[in-house]
Amino acid sequence: MLSAFFGGLVLAYAGMVGLCQGLERHYKQVWQRLPAPVLRRGLRLAGWASLAASFAASVAAWGWAMGPVGWFGLISLAGFALVMLLPYAPRLSLLLVPAGAFAWGLAWLIA
Amino acid sequence: MKKQTLTQAMAWLHTWSGLLFGWPLFAIFLTGSLAVFDQEIDHWMQPEVQRQDVPVALAAEHAVAYLQRHHADAGAWNIALPSERDPGLRVTAGDRRRGISTDLDPRTGEPLKVREAAGGSFFFHFHYTLNLPRQIGIWVVGLVALVTLATLVSGIIIHKKLFKEFFTFRPNKGQRSWLDFHNASGVLLMPFHLMIVYTGLVIFGLIYLPAALHALYDGDFEAFYQEAIGEAPHHHGPSRAPLATLVALGPLLAQAEERMGPLSAVSISHPGRSDALVEVRRVLGNRIALSKGHNMVFDGVSGKLLAGPPELRPSVLTQRVMFGLHFAQFGGYPMRWLYFFCGLVGSAMIASGLVLFTVKRRRKYLVEGRAGDFGHRLIEGLNVAVIAGLTLACIGLFWINRVLPVELAQRAGWELRLFFALWALTLLHGWWRPHLQAWREQLGLAALLCLGLPLLSALTVDHPWDDRTRLLLEATSVICGALLAWTTWRIGRRAEQPAPRRHKASAALEVN
Repeated sequence: MLSAFFGGLVLAYAGMVGLCQGLERHYKQVWQRLPAPVLRRGLRLAGWASLAASFAASVAAWGWAMGPVGWFGLISLAGFALVMLLPYAPRLSLLLVPAGAFAWGLAWLIA
Repeated sequence: MKKQTLTQAMAWLHTWSGLLFGWPLFAIFLTGSLAVFDQEIDHWMQPEVQRQDVPVALAAEHAVAYLQRHHADAGAWNIALPSERDPGLRVTAGDRRRGISTDLDPRTGEPLKVREAAGGSFFFHFHYTLNLPRQIGIWVVGLVALVTLATLVSGIIIHKKLFKEFFTFRPNKGQRSWLDFHNASGVLLMPFHLMIVYTGLVIFGLIYLPAALHALYDGDFEAFYQEAIGEAPHHHGPSRAPLATLVALGPLLAQAEERMGPLSAVSISHPGRSDALVEVRRVLGNRIALSKGHNMVFDGVSGKLLAGPPELRPSVLTQRVMFGLHFAQFGGYPMRWLYFFCGLVGSAMIASGLVLFTVKRRRKYLVEGRAGDFGHRLIEGLNVAVIAGLTLACIGLFWINRVLPVELAQRAGWELRLFFALWALTLLHGWWRPHLQAWREQLGLAALLCLGLPLLSALTVDHPWDDRTRLLLEATSVICGALLAWTTWRIGRRAEQPAPRRHKASAALEVN
């Protein structure tokens, strides 16, 4: 359950990063240039896909009744954390996605 | 009055209901977030209780032996069993809430000397009564919740760029930053805010709208619960039945555990009589619906199962799911942490709204030379006392718990008196000091108290850091302390150098 929970958390954060970077304003905020339209659409799509995967992970962690409740909590808090971090440490806020995925994979391998 | 647009009308509603009801709402949110961990805080506040790995059946056996020795003639016994969240074993003779309670060592069954403490239960009660008399408090909190729903909806209506600024937070821009923060915390956590306020109202729905209950049950709550939920039968008053030996609890507990999962408590009414009943309660939390009151009841002499956990009718199930969503007893610790953080962000959202009210007016009042106006000063002072002051008083309660002498009479009462005295002092302090200094000093002190909590434990408790619940609580406190210290530092920086001129700041940030 804990593994699915942390997986859901990482995916929720990744999803929010995707949606956020799919917006011109925030892409520019990190990279100082505009994203190509294809990239922008790809980021948004990946963001939605990641949020959907996070939903699946929440259901795996808690079941069909509690899963959606937990999922709303996860995406809300993940989004809020991203918004707070983005202006202070733009690159770091994106780096958290691979770092989180790596840590989760490592924990999964060890456990 | 001139005709207003919808947005203007909603902005007016949001501003004033947000201000007047924001103060009690902040207190409700902050104490509610702490109440998510009520049993953990209870456990922290009674450091004499140790976590021990004792089978539930053995602990129950010790409890019964103790009660038979000391309270054989009591009309009822209650045994709170050691559980993951609260590892203490506590027996009560007489009424479950008002009887005589004793803490026992679950390994030996010997009584423990445990300090009286206000505990996390205080935050829980404060959360829904604001420490007013219960009925009045429930009505006041209900009114706040109702207005909050309207404030949330009006907040969505007046938000001009809800999707465009979904991820936007621009720090160091004064009023702009406060509004950004207020919007981000409000919008991103909107599902939580709506859910928690709505379900909070539903919990006391029968108190707020009692007409149906009066019409159908003559206002008799108990009759309603018996019929609607199938609450298990229980005794009232003393027994006149002949003496009989109490059934061994071990097999009953095993049977109950198999059916309901981990157990939290056993109540025995008329122990030692032929009409004894044994009621076994479970740890809440294997489903969303709050399963409080859905227990198994056994005959206290033969051990026969009299009533199992009831199946819920759809209407009752709906109500219980609403309760459950609010109480967050489901989904284990991960869910508890989600609720805790959502609650804290919600508190910060309310606080930023309250601050925004004064930030917006401060500049205008400075220009007009009205900054010293009574009304403005009152609002600034109340903001400090409610936001920084209550935060300080809450962490203060943890310190009071460790510092007050253990053997003091009426100790729990003194803890609370000092808690409220501290809070009252912050009001005076917030009134006398210039407002930025008042913010800094109160938040700074709260930060110090949070950061120092593990140290305080080390100085005042025998085995300070070997209990995982207490250790985690202190680690959380240190993290909160770091956040508070950072906030204090930011306010300090702002106080020393006046905010940069608007065009300079916006030029610097417009690059992004």
